[in-house]
Parts: sequence; structure tokens; C-alpha cells
Amino acid sequence: MRIHHFALILLFMGAVAQAAPSAQEILAASDAVRNPDKPFSLTNTLTEFRDGKQTDGNTLMIYAKAEKAGGQYQNLIRFVAPARDANKLMLKAGNDLWFYDPSSKASIRISPQQRLLGQAANGDVVTVNLAKDYSAQLLGEEDVTDGDRQTRHCYKLALAATSPDVTYHHIEMWIDTGNSHPVKSRFYTESNRLLKTAYYRHFETQLGVVRPTETVIIDGLDPKWVTVMRFTDYAWRDIPDTWMQRDYLARFKPE
Amino acid sequence: MKKLLFSGLLAALPVLAQAAPPAAQPDEELDALNVADQAPVQVEQAADWRSFVETAYGNTQQRYGLPGYQSGRISIDTALDKTLAPGWRLVFADRLDWNWQGEAPDQAKINTLKELYLSWHVSQEQIVDFGRINTRYGVATGYNPTDYFRDDAVRSIVSVNPSSLRNNRLGSVMLRGQTLWDGGSLTAMLSPKLDSTPSGEPFNVDLGATNHVNRYLLAASQQFSDTFNPQVLLYGEQGKSPQVGLDLTRLLGDATVAFVEWSGGRSASQYAQAFGGPEQDTFRNRVTAGLTYTTENKISLTLEAEYDGAAMDKANWNALPQQGIARYLQYRDSVQAAQDLPTKEALFAYASWQDASVTHLDLTALMRQDLSDQSRLSWAEARYHWEHADLALQWQRYGGKPWSDFGVLPGRTSWQAVATYYF
Repeated sequence: MRIHHFALILLFMGAVAQAAPSAQEILAASDAVRNPDKPFSLTNTLTEFRDGKQTDGNTLMIYAKAEKAGGQYQNLIRFVAPARDANKLMLKAGNDLWFYDPSSKASIRISPQQRLLGQAANGDVVTVNLAKDYSAQLLGEEDVTDGDRQTRHCYKLALAATSPDVTYHHIEMWIDTGNSHPVKSRFYTESNRLLKTAYYRHFETQLGVVRPTETVIIDGLDPKWVTVMRFTDYAWRDIPDTWMQRDYLARFKPE
Repeated sequence: MKKLLFSGLLAALPVLAQAAPPAAQPDEELDALNVADQAPVQVEQAADWRSFVETAYGNTQQRYGLPGYQSGRISIDTALDKTLAPGWRLVFADRLDWNWQGEAPDQAKINTLKELYLSWHVSQEQIVDFGRINTRYGVATGYNPTDYFRDDAVRSIVSVNPSSLRNNRLGSVMLRGQTLWDGGSLTAMLSPKLDSTPSGEPFNVDLGATNHVNRYLLAASQQFSDTFNPQVLLYGEQGKSPQVGLDLTRLLGDATVAFVEWSGGRSASQYAQAFGGPEQDTFRNRVTAGLTYTTENKISLTLEAEYDGAAMDKANWNALPQQGIARYLQYRDSVQAAQDLPTKEALFAYASWQDASVTHLDLTALMRQDLSDQSRLSWAEARYHWEHADLALQWQRYGGKPWSDFGVLPGRTSWQAVATYYF
């Protein structure tokens, strides 16, 4: 009888082990919640607060398409507001980064560090397939308070960059065990300095899937520096591969 | 027995789940989320029009015992990029500068019709444009040898900042066709002669400046990898030998972009172009090479070495004043209109610091040093910006010996306050 019960437990454990997704699968499922699986566009409205007061506002239109090879997103970002930056463009295809100013007609190559100067540095976080650039490890499960102040039971993952080209050296991420919703992330430098904390919230159905429509970013050094990214105007887009190059930037005119 | 099984499972599950106690949320994060709740819900929509009005007032101290003077400017800049029908696009850009100088208002209006053209997207891979088009090539910041349509394009110089010279200039009337493929592009431009001489009339469209000779340009680019994306150009002008251009950029690490911009071909010297003469064309190189480095605290620094093989060497440049002031000025005017260098070698540095200790305060500085006579142009700007307006304070200094590239100019030091409102 004891042997029978022990076998049952082993059987149960086996079933659990088989059903439990790997850390990388958990991360990929969370990516799929944030990122539609076909080319799309959205409007990202960024509002910046310092010491509780609104200090800046930017609006970006983001066109996103996964690369054929590798699956990472390529982004074409159009600046909508403020007025001084209207219609400027940024192309981000891996580390091939170009900035285009319609006033000067100049396409300028910029470095990943230079990209971080602008709000687009936060703006294009929305379309990053983390599972493509990071190796995930399951640290455990825990209850965390989400961006809407609800308690969520989450997987806690440790993500390590698999290539030196990515913006963040390592990331801690909490993902809802029930529905793979991303709940919270902490982004770190190589020296383990906290760069930013992100809360994913205001989940709504967009392009057929329940997705976070707002991300709150809290600066790692100064927690009173808060950036809110609100995603609206989700739409499927036909984005040809020919658009994702420097020489198309002057031609880009969204419908 | 059921109890035993249940307790066994209970014992096993925590191991399987590696469960931890609920993580405490720091109070500061809760505060941040409360702040985030205040974000406005209004979403800005993209507009076809872009316009701004700018006013400037400044003071200049002069050399040669000449009195200082005040100057002012009002500028209206507007641009339209409108989709007329699927596949059809109208692009228009115009700028009016109204300058005055000294106590008696010497009013000078200069209108620059920068662009007016129609674009037809024949397909997703093929585009045809016709009209006045401002086309610009080059990867350098201070001197662009492959910006082949730059000569005579600037009607009104409002700042020595290269970005201002690029923004405020005439396009050329041309027919342009482009074909695109995955990772590459080929563009062909034909720009016909429509007039003979530039015009100084305030509201002239100035086809004599931009279309005084038949010209063509071919530009091809291909992305071979994330880090290698060269552009090759072939430029031709009636009566002159073709010029070949190459634009290369390379990412060095996370924070540095290196660039090389080269143009080469048989041509006359700048001196012969300014005065005419029997000189034989020889193969000449024009090159700019440099890098841009960005620090973690938002400072970008560009350093450039510039070489113009058609310009004067040190000995000839130093001897030029002996030919008389008229010829000296004619040479300078010719080189300035061509946006080339008066002497063979120069260094250029450009630094910008975004949010310089104060949010929304940007500091920018540039320096150009002529290596033939060690004269120097220095320019600096502090600019604070609000949602729709900018306020800037600019300082400029031309330094050097008499008859040097920058030391000869009467205006030694100038200050200027600039206010801009964006609609």
C-alpha cells in the first residue's frame, strides 16, 4: 500500500513537472501578451513626473515588425508631440539605429547610448521580445502587488543577457502564474545598479489579446522620477521589409 | 491513508513551487504608482502642418575700430506634408527671415522656398517625385563633401550651427526616382538647368541658385550587417567630371559611432573655380572622418577632421591677401557659396549636453579651427524649452590673426537671445 501511494505521488510529481513550463517558456508567453504576433502600430503617450509634478509629455507612434531572422522587433518610431519634434523619426533594427529630421533631411546614425537620450528609449521598450535576448531562470513564486494595487501570484524570473548588445545587462521579472501577464520588472546594469522598475497595468483586450495598456517606469536612482507610458490606437499594419532601412526614412508617411 | 497522501502532497508542493512569502512593495513605488494615476488621458494626433515663429535680438562687437551694432530678426517657418490620395503626397516647406541691423532699421526680407514637390508611391518599392526637393547626403556633422546639392542653397544665414545651415536652404528642382529592396535602395535624380544666376530679390524662388546647370546624382545603399551599411554616390554636372562619393558609418561599442565621408574625382581647384583660368583638372579628394561619443550623463561629443583637396594650401592661402582685397573676398565668397573649406585642413568639434543639470536645459557648443592659419570659430548656446516654446542665449566669436579664415571678419564677438514658439 505504501509503495502504491509513493508511486501515486511520483506520478503526480511527474505530471506537475511535465505541465510546468520552463522559465524561457514563461518569458516567451509574457512577451506574447505584450507584443502582437503580426506587424502592428500603436500610439505611446509618455508623461513624465518629477517630485509629483508633471514635467514633460511626449507622443510617439510606433510601427513594429518582428525580424525574419531572430524574431526581435524592428521599430519605426514617429515623434508626434511636442511640436518641436513633430515628424522626426527613429529607426531601430537591432543595433542599426538611425535618427531622421525632416527639417534637415539628415539621416544620422546613432549609438545605443545616444538613443537613451530621448524618450524613445523608454518608448520602444514596449516592443522588445525579451525571450530572444535574455536567458531566463526561475527563482521561485511569490505574491506581489501589481500596478493596480492588486495581489498577484507570480513567477519570479532572473533574466541574463545573452548578447552584449542589449540595453539592460540583467532583469528581474514577475509574471502572473495564471495568465502569463507581465506584472513588474526591474532593469539592471552590469554593475548591478538598478536602472528602472516597470509596472505593467490597465489590462485590456487589444488586437485580440488581453494586454497591458500602461507601463509605469520608476527611475532606479530617483523614485520620484516617474514616466507613464500609455498605449492606444493599436492597429494591425502591413509593414514591408523595405521600410526598415535608412533610405526609407525620408519616405515614411503613416496613413 | 488518504490523510497520509494529502500530507505527502502538501509536503511536496512547496518544494515544487519554491514558494516564497509575499514580497513587500516599497512605499516609494506605491507613491510612484499614485503619481502615475494622474497622467492625462488625452492623446495627441499627428498633424500635417509644422510651423514656428522665431525672434532674435543681439549685439555684435567689431574689429578695426568699427562700432558695435545691434541686430534683430523675425522668422516664420512652415512645412506641410499632406497625403492627397492613396500613394500621392504633397510636400511644402518655406521660411521667411526679416532681418534688421543698427539703429536705422535696414529692413531685409529673404524668403526661402525650401521645398514644393509631389510624390507618387507607384508601389511599396518604387517612388517617383517631382518638384523642388531638398535632398541631402552625408554622415558627417560639420562638413559634408557628399552633400552634392549644397552649393548656393543657403539664402539667409541665421546661425553658423551646421544644423541651421542644413535646415534653412533651398531644394533643387528635380525628377527623383527611388527603388527599394530588403536592406537596400537605389535613388536617381535629374536636376535640369532652369536659370543662370542667383537672385537677391526677397521673394524670388531663386532657381538661378539651385538650377544653374544640368546635374544628376545616383545614390545606392546596401545593408550588409547591423554594423556595415555603406552608401555609394555618383554625381555629375554638365561641363565637369563626375564625382564619386562614399558614406560609411560603424558602431564602436555601445556609445561610439565612427564615420567617414569621402568624395573624389577630377576637378578644378577652388581658386580656379572662383576666378576661372587655364588650370587643368586633377583628381582631388574631399574627406571628413570622425566619431561621436555619448556619455551616460547625456553628453554627446563629435570630433571631425576635415580635408578639402581642392582648397588652398597654407602657403597660397597666406599669400592670397597680397593679390588685393577684392580677389581675397571673391575667393571667400565663392567658397562660402559652395559650402566648401577655404583651406585644405580643418578640425571641427561639436558637443551637446541634454538636460544639463537642469531638466529641459540643453547646452551646445561648437568649434571649427582652420589648421592653415590656426584661426577659430567658437559658438555656444544655452537653450531652455517648454512644451511649445524655446528660449536660447547664443554666443559667437571669430578669433585669429588679420587675413586669417576667421580673424578677418569684422564681427569679433556677438551675443544673441532667441525665442521660438512652435505651433
